Amino acid sequence: MSDLNVAVIIKLEPDFSEGNVSYNPDGTLNRAETKNTLGPHSAIAAHAAFYAKVMYNARISISTMGPPIAESVLQMAQRICDAEELHLYSDRIFAGADTLATAEVLKTGIEKMQGKMDIVFSGHRASDGETGQTGPQTAWKLGFTFLGNVIDYKIDRENRIIRAKRLVRLQGFSDVVEEIEAPLPVFISIDPSYKPLFNTVSQRLDFEKFQKEARIRAENYKQYLKVFNAQQLGVDPKYVGLPGSPTIVYKVERIPKGKATRQAEVLDGSNSEHIRKAILKMKEALAAMVVK
Amino acid sequence: MTEDNYHHLYVVIELEDSKLVPVSLEMLGEARRLVNSFNKKYNLDEKVVAVLLGYELKEIPQILIEHGADFVVYADHPELITYRNNIYTKVISQIAQDKDIAKIISSEDLKNFKKPRYMFFGADSIGRHLSSTVLVELESGLASDINKLEINDIKLTHQHKTDGKELTYEKTLEMYRPDFSGFLWTTILCLDNKNPSIERQYHPQSCSIIPGVFEPIEPDKKRKGQVIEYTPKIDQQDLKVTVLSRQVIKSEVDFDRYRAVVSFGRGIKDAPEENIRLIEQLAKLLNAEIGVSLPISKKPFSVNQSLSSKYMITDRVIGTSGRKINPMLYVAVGISGAMQHVAGMKDSEFVVAINPDENSPIKDECDLFIKGRMEDVIPKLVEEIKKQSLLVQA
Repeated sequence: MSDLNVAVIIKLEPDFSEGNVSYNPDGTLNRAETKNTLGPHSAIAAHAAFYAKVMYNARISISTMGPPIAESVLQMAQRICDAEELHLYSDRIFAGADTLATAEVLKTGIEKMQGKMDIVFSGHRASDGETGQTGPQTAWKLGFTFLGNVIDYKIDRENRIIRAKRLVRLQGFSDVVEEIEAPLPVFISIDPSYKPLFNTVSQRLDFEKFQKEARIRAENYKQYLKVFNAQQLGVDPKYVGLPGSPTIVYKVERIPKGKATRQAEVLDGSNSEHIRKAILKMKEALAAMVVK
Repeated sequence: MTEDNYHHLYVVIELEDSKLVPVSLEMLGEARRLVNSFNKKYNLDEKVVAVLLGYELKEIPQILIEHGADFVVYADHPELITYRNNIYTKVISQIAQDKDIAKIISSEDLKNFKKPRYMFFGADSIGRHLSSTVLVELESGLASDINKLEINDIKLTHQHKTDGKELTYEKTLEMYRPDFSGFLWTTILCLDNKNPSIERQYHPQSCSIIPGVFEPIEPDKKRKGQVIEYTPKIDQQDLKVTVLSRQVIKSEVDFDRYRAVVSFGRGIKDAPEENIRLIEQLAKLLNAEIGVSLPISKKPFSVNQSLSSKYMITDRVIGTSGRKINPMLYVAVGISGAMQHVAGMKDSEFVVAINPDENSPIKDECDLFIKGRMEDVIPKLVEEIKKQSLLVQA
């Protein structure tokens, strides 16, 4: 039995990689034609959880809310972090949830996982919705200490304390790395720049051992999978899905083209005289700096 | 009646190292403009309320009044010296629900006051998470990354909110957020459930606001406002996080050190790896740093690991979700010119675009539009630079 329980919340998102993503002629995402995958920030969260497996022998659980096909991303995430429990919260009444209603489902599910969670990880934000709200909202509903933009962490298992580094990036200020300490449990939203480091040979051996184990588990992911509908989860239908969402999308429109801010001179890229002119202009622009 | 329960626009101010983060004054500016027209339109006298947490705040409340706040409610406490999510969430939520404060602000006894009508946060390392947790505590809705706001009466029919009937929502905050592509605007509304079977009130209507979008108002030393000190109720349970150290670091990508920036977007798609190599060549000759558009940071193309981890990263994104820069020379390669991107580069002195499509929006944002595919144009530019030996000057 592990003495450290870790959960990861993940999301099924559009796959923005070339060949899988499809754009409408006006440059917007064609959702119907775009494939789905494990969100890149979710994948980073899974890597952060796997770090706890390698370093502290944590027991890992993963959960997601989504349509039945979202079980494929649970499998993908399991392959990354060797999870022993996969939760899918899937019910038509969950559809259309905003972040508050999503957090309600995730919070209820996490509390149903085996063992009391010590750390819950989420990605920084989804690459489609991009709000970054679901993580902290789930944390607050769980009553966990929330740590955002975490780029590194270490656990002191004996004293049940986490030490973490957070990247603080604010308009008009240099970036700051803040080192903090907090007792477990905590909820961590992992920064996109997070990279796990395994320094010693024995850590790397464990890394490989658990990676292999993760591949085997993921091949048989269904035996780790539990699917919950609203009733099985025991959520109040008034607090989930559209009824539990304070916000609605009222309209979607094309952003009107702004007034031209500059009057462009158009040059023909295949004309060598034009190319010469372009370079002269660029040279001028840079030279102006020197005078300044 | 909901009308008596929710009043005023509360703006959550951000400090870093005891100094105001610029988005705070930008939010106050937009709050001032909105509340002015709101009061005129509805013949009301609602206020812009700045909520300020910190330690040894000194002249900051006065600065906020000069920038448009009618009231500054501040909590000055050693435990509030830097942002920590738990304690900040609790104190802001206390202030937002405090009836005595609301009474002073409203200059009348609002017996039924529950919460603010509207609430603003910055969409950054502080406000993004803080807004999320505060709005769970206040049990209301939140829209993120907003760049346009309006207040209107909205008539609508909604399966859940109105039980399929047409109803009017008065004084509704329309919150516009650009999607990741920068071409679509989604309007988010935070609405009460008027449907009797799921009836619930959702205030404040709240959002996080993209830094650098709104203008602060011209500061006016003579502007009058009132400062209210709030003594926070601090629970040890909310002080679990200890800040051990704070260290300023330089980003690996430092655009300010360069006179020129060459950025690329999805236009590299025909041969991503080869095209990035071409862009590297051009940037090297111009002594330029390399930037990218937001979609590139989502790693849409498979290129080798070293190129991907060097360039397809958020640190290089130019635009509202990345850096705002103003180099002497900005070269946009294969970038269509979505509004979000333009916001990050529009202050550049001289802008060159390389693009095969003369109809793409970037044409209205550049001084020189070189029509052509980057595969063809960049090698010619590189050759010409070598000929003219631009390197010496740059």
